[in-house]
Amino acid sequence: MQELNSRFVLRRLLQIVPTVLGIVLIGFVLIHFAPGDPVLALAGEHGDAAYYAFMRQRFGLDRSLPEQLAVYFARVVSGDMGMSYVHGRSTVALIMERVPATLLLTGTALIIAVAVSIPLGALAARRPHGARDIGISAAALGLYSAPAFWLGQLSILIVALQLGLLPVQGMTSAGDPNTGLLRVVDVARHLALPALVLASQELAALVRLTRGGLIDELARDHVRTARAKGLTELGVLFRHAMPRALLPVLTIIGARAGQLIAGTVVIEIVFGWPGIGRLLLTSLQNRDTPLLLALFMMVSIAVVLANLVTDLIYAALDPRVRIR
Amino acid sequence: MPGHRWFVLLIFALPNGLGCSAEPEGERPFVAAITTDPGHLNTAITTNGSVHTAGGLLYNGLIALDANLKPVPELAERWEVLHGGSVYRFHLRHDVRWHDGHPFRAADVKFTFEQLLLKFHSRTRASLGPALLRVDAPDDFTIEFTFKRPYAPLLQQLDVEEAPIMPRHVFATGDPLRNKANTAPVGTGPYRFVSYRSGSEIRFTANPGYFGGTPSIRDIVLRIVPDPGVQVMALEAGEVDWLFGVPGPERERLRRDKRFEVAQSPGYSGGSNCVTTVGFNLDRALVRDVRLRRAFAHAVNRPQIVERVLFGEGRVADAPISSGIAFAHASDLHLPDFDTTKASRLLEAAGWRGAPRGIRVSRAVRGVADGTPLTLGFTVMPGQARYGDLLRAQLRVVGIDLRVTALEPAVFSQTVFTARDFDTAIIAYCNGADPEIGVRRQYVSSSIGPIPFSNTAAYRNPAMDSLFDSAASAVDVSMRSRLYRRIQEIAVRDQPYVWLVETLNTRAFSVRCTGFGISPHFAVTAKCRN
Repeated sequence: MQELNSRFVLRRLLQIVPTVLGIVLIGFVLIHFAPGDPVLALAGEHGDAAYYAFMRQRFGLDRSLPEQLAVYFARVVSGDMGMSYVHGRSTVALIMERVPATLLLTGTALIIAVAVSIPLGALAARRPHGARDIGISAAALGLYSAPAFWLGQLSILIVALQLGLLPVQGMTSAGDPNTGLLRVVDVARHLALPALVLASQELAALVRLTRGGLIDELARDHVRTARAKGLTELGVLFRHAMPRALLPVLTIIGARAGQLIAGTVVIEIVFGWPGIGRLLLTSLQNRDTPLLLALFMMVSIAVVLANLVTDLIYAALDPRVRIR
Repeated sequence: MPGHRWFVLLIFALPNGLGCSAEPEGERPFVAAITTDPGHLNTAITTNGSVHTAGGLLYNGLIALDANLKPVPELAERWEVLHGGSVYRFHLRHDVRWHDGHPFRAADVKFTFEQLLLKFHSRTRASLGPALLRVDAPDDFTIEFTFKRPYAPLLQQLDVEEAPIMPRHVFATGDPLRNKANTAPVGTGPYRFVSYRSGSEIRFTANPGYFGGTPSIRDIVLRIVPDPGVQVMALEAGEVDWLFGVPGPERERLRRDKRFEVAQSPGYSGGSNCVTTVGFNLDRALVRDVRLRRAFAHAVNRPQIVERVLFGEGRVADAPISSGIAFAHASDLHLPDFDTTKASRLLEAAGWRGAPRGIRVSRAVRGVADGTPLTLGFTVMPGQARYGDLLRAQLRVVGIDLRVTALEPAVFSQTVFTARDFDTAIIAYCNGADPEIGVRRQYVSSSIGPIPFSNTAAYRNPAMDSLFDSAASAVDVSMRSRLYRRIQEIAVRDQPYVWLVETLNTRAFSVRCTGFGISPHFAVTAKCRN
């Protein structure tokens, strides 16, 4: 088992290389065939033809596509992820600056979503189609169908502007930079609204899955046996029904975890959160190819790794699953 | 979980300003919202608006422009125009130091023009570059520009927006586009750089040795707030003191609120005096007949645009050149007025026959197959989509079917200027402080081609080309006025464009601060209460 496991992990890790190279290749070709020109976005307006030709040459954009592709891949293989056209800095450094804020927001939201949705799902499953079930399911679906930008602006309007409880935007106060505990509190206050809005969007699927899984499990023979043994209802729920019911929930959480690092464009824009999602959007608008490709690469690695970890946990939880 | 509840309570209960207690004097910084993370702060290597908005306070030009766009001293304390306008000599201030302590010298100016502005600043490169012979620094405090022939508009092109001066000792080696100083800049300006947090904020502090006197506001924070609606909410919540723009529907509400002031200006320097303009693609047979273009102009109700698109903030354009350039603006020209009867008559005469309430079809229109419906593509950027919606409704009345396509900026530039795949397009032509900066490129044949925001129409007229050349080298103002008047008469006759409206920039700010200017140094003269 142990040996199988390590061989499995190794093989999956090796698969990352062709996956990522494929994604970068497709990304490179797509960006180049999409309309729009990085030089126009970069240089601003009102130049003359000589100016645009000069800039194109500076960034190697005057060469043929295969040539550009070859140069790019040679650099990537040697570990150089290139310089952003717009920022004039290393793409890796730019991305790394944004990673902490991104993970803080998406990670907190996922934790809140999981922590809230599993108890809610369990509550709803206790009496399917009862008043509580209908209430919880309707609320979760309602939050899920509300557009994030609308929910975000509404929450700012009410919680931040009218009640004055939390800040409107940003990750820290614009006042003098705090240190230590004050800084933690400051960031937490800024984090609260965007994380809650993002979590509310994630909630629906998790609640529905938990509920559905539990309803199935609670009707099974082993649960009846457990009840017949005289276990408390909570004991039945947590020891006998929950572990199996949560397997599909785990798959969803795993899939979401891979996306954590990609950030969340809409929430980041509404709340002015300095995450990867906004970096991705602006680099797309500016046709900042090196930065875009570096972002693609990072996100794809994260997704592959998260899937691998999910598979391993799944196998550990479900003895029927054997990985080879 | 009592602990958990306590923590949530703590988050809600702690006021934002608590951090200030760590610092006794507790002077609140002045916070301005910007929409876009500029990426870097070197305003000499790009004309990108977000870089100039964010970086303007750090630098100086040789001269500045006052509220009437007249040149006043900045790094240069005085200047002489020699040889009938072929040579400009500037005498620099002796008391200027870079933020890192190095003294400022004429060699910095020469270097900035030769290695940065004339290579990377697209506007200065395109307008000054071809006319300039050389830049000399005969001594440490004198700089001389020598032109191939007399050059009139130079003094309007040397402010901090068009020609910010950069330190030679910082940029002398390596690739200027990748210089570390682009994100940790060194200037001579009223504010010095403190920090730049990507996607979040940029901080400046007043330059204590500034030659113009230390500014009153000590700390400035530029917050990156991407959503314009959220910017307004941040202003209302007191998190932000200044907005560089306000969405139309929100302006009236802010104006009524006593806590805020809303101010308009025609803008500053290269980004000023903007005229929203429809350009016809003269390469296409569909719009080649001037009668059709004039009919289009007659069919447009421009006061309605001012009301419904600009929410009252702007005016109907009454000449091809903006009223903000007073000496060149011809105010008594007669642009086609709103008259759907005249429009219909012109369309009939041009061969576009219409059934009542229907879309017109062609009969004997040159280059257009008979029976072709009068459907015109109308290409816009998303920010100008409202123009498209309104014009579509207005033109439908005279039987023109406008098909509006909104393209994001990068795609718009390529579609309109490189591929030239459009019938009509809408462009905001910012005329700047001189017609040479922002008007010339709209009409001369040399700016036809894959150049963004240039001669959209591909209008070609040798008489016009030579008139612009004469106007650029006429140093006498009344002579220049006459030449620009002639240019505008021809433009109105040929109608390659429809000049819709002159737009204004709207700023909104908290009344705790007063005394703002319109230049990139807007905050230098301001004062704030805590």
